[in-house]
Amino acid sequence: MSILNKHPQRDSAATEALGGEELLVTGGHSFSTLTDKVSGIVETKTPPKWYLLFAMAVSGAMVLLGAIGWLVWEGTGIWGLNNPVGWGWAIVNFVFWVGIGHAGTLISAILFLLRQQWRTAINRFAEAMTIFAVICALVFPGIHVGRIWLAYYMFPIPNQMLIWPNFRSPLLWDIFAVGTYFTVSTLFWYVGLIPDLATLRDRATKVRKKVLGFFAMGWRGGNRQWQHYEKAYLMLAGLATPLVLSVHSVVATDFATSMVPGWHTTIFPPYFVAGAVFSGFGMVMTLAIIARKIYGLEDIITVNHLEKMNKIILVTGSMVGYAYMTEFFIAWYSGNEYEFFAFINRALGPYAWAYWIMFLCNVITPQIFWFKKLRRSIPVMFVASIFVNIGMWFERFVITVTSLSRDFLPSSWDYYSPSIWDILTFVGSFGLFFTFFLLFLRFLPMVALAEVKGVMPEADPHNYHSEGGAK
Amino acid sequence: MSNAINPSAQGKTYWRSLDHLAETPEFKELVEKEFPDGADELKNPVSRRKFLSLMGASMALAGLTSCRRPVEKIIPYVVKPEEIIPGKPQYYATNMPFGTESFGLLVESHEGRPTKIEGNKNHPASGGSSNVFMQAEMLNLYDPDRSQMVLNQGKNSSWNAYRSAWKKIAETYTENGGEGMAILSESFASPTMMRLSEAFMKKFPQARWVTYDSVSDENIFSGVQAATGQLAQPRYNFKEANIVLSLDSDFLQMDSNDIPNARDFASRRKVRSEKDSMNRLYVVEGTYTITGGMADHRLRVQNGQIGMFAAALAHELSAQGLDIKAPRVNADFDKKWITVLARDLIHNKGKSLVVGGRRQPAEVHTLIALINEVLSNTNKTVSYTANPDMQASSLKSFMNLNKAMKEGKIESLIILGGNPVYQAPADVDFAAGLKKVNYSVHLSSHVDETSANTTWHIPEAHFLESWGDVSGYGGAGIIQPLIAPLFDGKSDIDVLADLVSDEEVWAYGVVQETWTGILGAAGFEKAWRKVVHDGFLTSTRETPVAMNKSRAQGVVSMSRYYSSTVSGNEMEVIFTASFSNFDGRYANNGWMQELPDPVTKVTWDNVALLSANTAKQLGVKNEDRLKVSTSGVDVVLPVWIQPGMADNTLALELGYGREIGRVSTGVGANVGVLRYASGMNIASGFTAEKALGTHTLACVQDHHGFDEEKLAADAIQERLPAIVRESTLSDYQKDPEFAMAFAEKNELKGMWKEHDYGEGNQWGMSIDLTSCTGCSACTIACQSENNIPIIGKDEVSNGRDMSWIRLDRYYTGDVEDPEMVFQPIACQHCEMAPCEGVCPVAATTHSEEGLNEMAYNRCIGTRYCANNCPYKVRRFNFFNYTKDVPEIVEMAMNPDVSIRFRGVMEKCTFCVQRINVAKIEVKNEGRGLEDGDIVVACQQACPTDAIAFGNINDPNSEVSKVKAQNRDYALLGELNLQPRTSYGAKLRNPNPDLEAEHHAAEHTA
Repeated sequence: MSILNKHPQRDSAATEALGGEELLVTGGHSFSTLTDKVSGIVETKTPPKWYLLFAMAVSGAMVLLGAIGWLVWEGTGIWGLNNPVGWGWAIVNFVFWVGIGHAGTLISAILFLLRQQWRTAINRFAEAMTIFAVICALVFPGIHVGRIWLAYYMFPIPNQMLIWPNFRSPLLWDIFAVGTYFTVSTLFWYVGLIPDLATLRDRATKVRKKVLGFFAMGWRGGNRQWQHYEKAYLMLAGLATPLVLSVHSVVATDFATSMVPGWHTTIFPPYFVAGAVFSGFGMVMTLAIIARKIYGLEDIITVNHLEKMNKIILVTGSMVGYAYMTEFFIAWYSGNEYEFFAFINRALGPYAWAYWIMFLCNVITPQIFWFKKLRRSIPVMFVASIFVNIGMWFERFVITVTSLSRDFLPSSWDYYSPSIWDILTFVGSFGLFFTFFLLFLRFLPMVALAEVKGVMPEADPHNYHSEGGAK
Repeated sequence: MSNAINPSAQGKTYWRSLDHLAETPEFKELVEKEFPDGADELKNPVSRRKFLSLMGASMALAGLTSCRRPVEKIIPYVVKPEEIIPGKPQYYATNMPFGTESFGLLVESHEGRPTKIEGNKNHPASGGSSNVFMQAEMLNLYDPDRSQMVLNQGKNSSWNAYRSAWKKIAETYTENGGEGMAILSESFASPTMMRLSEAFMKKFPQARWVTYDSVSDENIFSGVQAATGQLAQPRYNFKEANIVLSLDSDFLQMDSNDIPNARDFASRRKVRSEKDSMNRLYVVEGTYTITGGMADHRLRVQNGQIGMFAAALAHELSAQGLDIKAPRVNADFDKKWITVLARDLIHNKGKSLVVGGRRQPAEVHTLIALINEVLSNTNKTVSYTANPDMQASSLKSFMNLNKAMKEGKIESLIILGGNPVYQAPADVDFAAGLKKVNYSVHLSSHVDETSANTTWHIPEAHFLESWGDVSGYGGAGIIQPLIAPLFDGKSDIDVLADLVSDEEVWAYGVVQETWTGILGAAGFEKAWRKVVHDGFLTSTRETPVAMNKSRAQGVVSMSRYYSSTVSGNEMEVIFTASFSNFDGRYANNGWMQELPDPVTKVTWDNVALLSANTAKQLGVKNEDRLKVSTSGVDVVLPVWIQPGMADNTLALELGYGREIGRVSTGVGANVGVLRYASGMNIASGFTAEKALGTHTLACVQDHHGFDEEKLAADAIQERLPAIVRESTLSDYQKDPEFAMAFAEKNELKGMWKEHDYGEGNQWGMSIDLTSCTGCSACTIACQSENNIPIIGKDEVSNGRDMSWIRLDRYYTGDVEDPEMVFQPIACQHCEMAPCEGVCPVAATTHSEEGLNEMAYNRCIGTRYCANNCPYKVRRFNFFNYTKDVPEIVEMAMNPDVSIRFRGVMEKCTFCVQRINVAKIEVKNEGRGLEDGDIVVACQQACPTDAIAFGNINDPNSEVSKVKAQNRDYALLGELNLQPRTSYGAKLRNPNPDLEAEHHAAEHTA
């Protein structure tokens, strides 16, 4: 059997060789066909549909730019904020995007350390999503302040005023946490890309070859290079792992260290991390289902992969649901009337609609994945993943807005509703996200080729020696 | 003009074009006039086209004198005026006339620019405190929409042109004794105005003098006149009254002499310990006023039935043995309430007081005078005085004037202030009358509804720009100008003196002439200087008037009024002076429009107030539009359901729907068109029905019908006992520590090592909820002192009100007939401030003296501090709210306080600028700070001295003493924020005989 061609009978043979374990790449792919498949996506002429989608995404990004421009020109007042509700959609969106940015590094780092080989099919993709989501997230803390041009005061830059930022403020911790996370995620992603960039380089000509060659950093695929590379990758995975847990924990402290009833709860850090993973997987799922369909990657991102992700969604969704109930219980058990009211008010007050959307999407939806049939049904999981995205946005909305709108003194209670600029900014952030994402799909290998090859039976040094090997 | 400044049309050389330009007739006109036509357009940034054309003209003007850019020079004092140190304000005493009342003022002036009005501490009426109207006058002075030009037939003219026109006409009147001539003035109490009016009548004996105000004490005066036989006003002495009964009187806010009334009333509610006593207030009213909020017992009764109530009370007094004959009335008032009230009044004979509101007809006031007489209160808690300098409003003579005008009997009419076209009753078409008058003059601050119908309009000078005098409560005083007229305005004295005198006169001289008569020619200069310096003369010019009991009894017995008033089932409409506009005179004042009504909390609108029952009957809810109509005229107003209002009563606020400037335009609706002479105050025969659509109201509390939502309403009622701690005097005596019942029993532990504030000056505040009436003077004084921006209705609707000290209003008890409490909330300056820790840039920090400070320059506006503030006192500049402030309004700004840019958080600073000024001053004087050296703006304004401020490290300071009282509690103290502001728990003093019932009602609620 040649390693250059597809062999439909290969799958059964390989499965047999693996002792009945599920195959991670189906469709009888060999290394060569896999390379052709994935590289081909970025090497063929850009399809017109891509241009259409890209135009839409860029328009969305322009909407964001316009909304930000107007914000800088006119002031924070263009948003729907008011006196008790000082944080609205901007912060909701920030937490939402940061949360989405959790899946990538979790898949690439934690699952890597846990030797979950199925992660290879989706990790590149998820990491890219992470980076773009974090970029979208980082837009918001910058623009949500009243004097955007002075936002740099938040950085510890030595200055003539001899004044440092306030290290007691969770907002400052955010800067460090999200900044670090972004740096490490990007580094991790790039390091993972190097062998694949080299693969692309080797297939390219002229300018393209030079550019790819530059970014491939002279990768030759030599043994020694691989040895160093694998070590570096392992170390980065080790570095990134705590960050996965820390970023959202720190974001959670924005709320948890305050004294606003409904924010001031110790459960927030773990609960935020679970929610973040939940939402991140939801987003990966949405994007993966679309991408594998459009680019015909069903052999690489198989239903088995998706099912595994659904299991994670089920687990984290249940954790989130458990956290909701714990919050309620603790609010009652604490005997703190403000705290208890904050939760009753979420469920029954003027924002009850948002609470129940959240509850339905985040707690009820994932429970369908107890059933194998539903777990493996593409339409079902697609709809469910959208629900998870919606639900997790509402979770942040419920936490941020309902708590602020009714806190201690009833005299200052007020209702918050977004303005058109809040909505445009949010929609625009999706435009920015998809602009990056479409560029990624167009120019970079969306599947980690080297890693996928590494988990194929052919990568096993003994593959060809055994009886079930090459005939 | 556009041609002239177009260089391409006129050749290349700019100079040539200018020469040419100078020849155009439009340009000549511009040069000739001091104020170009439409100069006010400049201040309106919207009119870009006008702006450009005016800019063109200005450039041309500049070009005529110089070819360079005009050089702007700032000129320092060559010879520094004595006493003036740049940056150090001067204070001048003056007086503010307000109808027949006046307030003694002390005005702060920075380099000749008045910036802040305070009460004159030594003045018997103001006593150093103020009310919202006094404070708001600062902005009225700098109103950019004030009229700036003498107008003749709507065209620009001049004072001299007016004078020469008058001189021609005057000759005829000198001959015929003033036949066909009339003067219409607002009511006043001024020795000079009185002297001039007498001189005028002497010179023109056939002329008419008419005085009219749309909101006045005419009914009270008439009622007292019926009882005493003389035109006299009641003067109350609340200090001596143990029991006060208010019959529809808002003596703490809207009625005359509110400041001394409030102060004296509150002086009897200063409870320092459980051993002290309190006065007791019964209020019978139809609307819910802040006086009603202070009541120990409040009975809601339709305004039209209050006369019946007074009669029923008189009856009961008679039944309990007093010598009073009251007409029998058939009404079902709470029998027990009246019995207990009567017993209480009799028990405190000579130490009780019944006061009536200005809306009530004269008959009620006569009866009230009689009741006070039989209760032996006359000359103890109430006395009657005649003021020789007072000209009171008379609706009847105003109507006669209009009739004469329509008949063509009046050829010349001079209107000294006021706005009769707007203020006239609905059935008096004053504009139509004016059309029949050949020569009409209107002295007015704005080109308003009346000015549009007169041949001449003269801009009226503000009282801070003119010389004048007042006479009233506690003495007479001089009005001295703080600044030369900004818009070349004339005062009523200027205009009137010019009519009387043959030569050109000067108000200063006229006032001095009057006072020569008062002070005597000998040693006049010295005495005059003293009066001007002090602001007032202590010896009153009022003469006592004796009560005539038999006369009053006769009038009361003869009157059918008491038994003929409306039945409770008929809808009555009452017209009330607006809390923010009064009769419309503050309509163009942004502070006032944005100041929430203390009871409804609505800003920027007038509403139709009605009870929940009445709203249900009419099928309306809050913010629905209600069409109120009578005799074919209708007004559509937004509905506001007011708990505690009498059923079948519709209260409409006057003073809205005016289009005299950028603030007033489009605000509210003019209900004056429904106000007929027969029902100026309380009227019937109206229909009210739901109109299509809704009207968004900018309300600063209970947004979006929270009161209607059970979850919220229950939570509020659950929290309220801890937020506003309240008890009755008798319960307080039993349990002096009641305010501590809610305090956290466990030891409160901080998150970090607490700073020791044991040394130096440590600023703190205490607010006594027992004496806070909710008058809102603090809010507006703070706005004036701290340059708090006006943000407009839309922004208030968005929930972004900027007030640094707000007045929270809560209802307790029965939903239909609740009690009302007020709680002023400003930054509490917590020692463990939650706002400080969360700011990422350390823009808000703590000072060594315990102040929670804002570094505006450092603030980037994350709003995290506001989120984390449990009192929600931090205010964010969502937009650049001061961007469109006209240049002239900038003059009202306090130079000691910086203007905040957009994106910056702000909040109460405990008037840190005043603290620092006081520190510098005492240092110059070589002494340490003493208690009372620092008076913060809200504290200074408060007429009831509810706010104490000072050094809490000094055990002898007032604030330390107040904080040591057992009623003192920290709001949300269980959060361990250690706020520097604390509250004195509220006490009421209900009659034990009625209290049982009151409690029962509360439990059913």
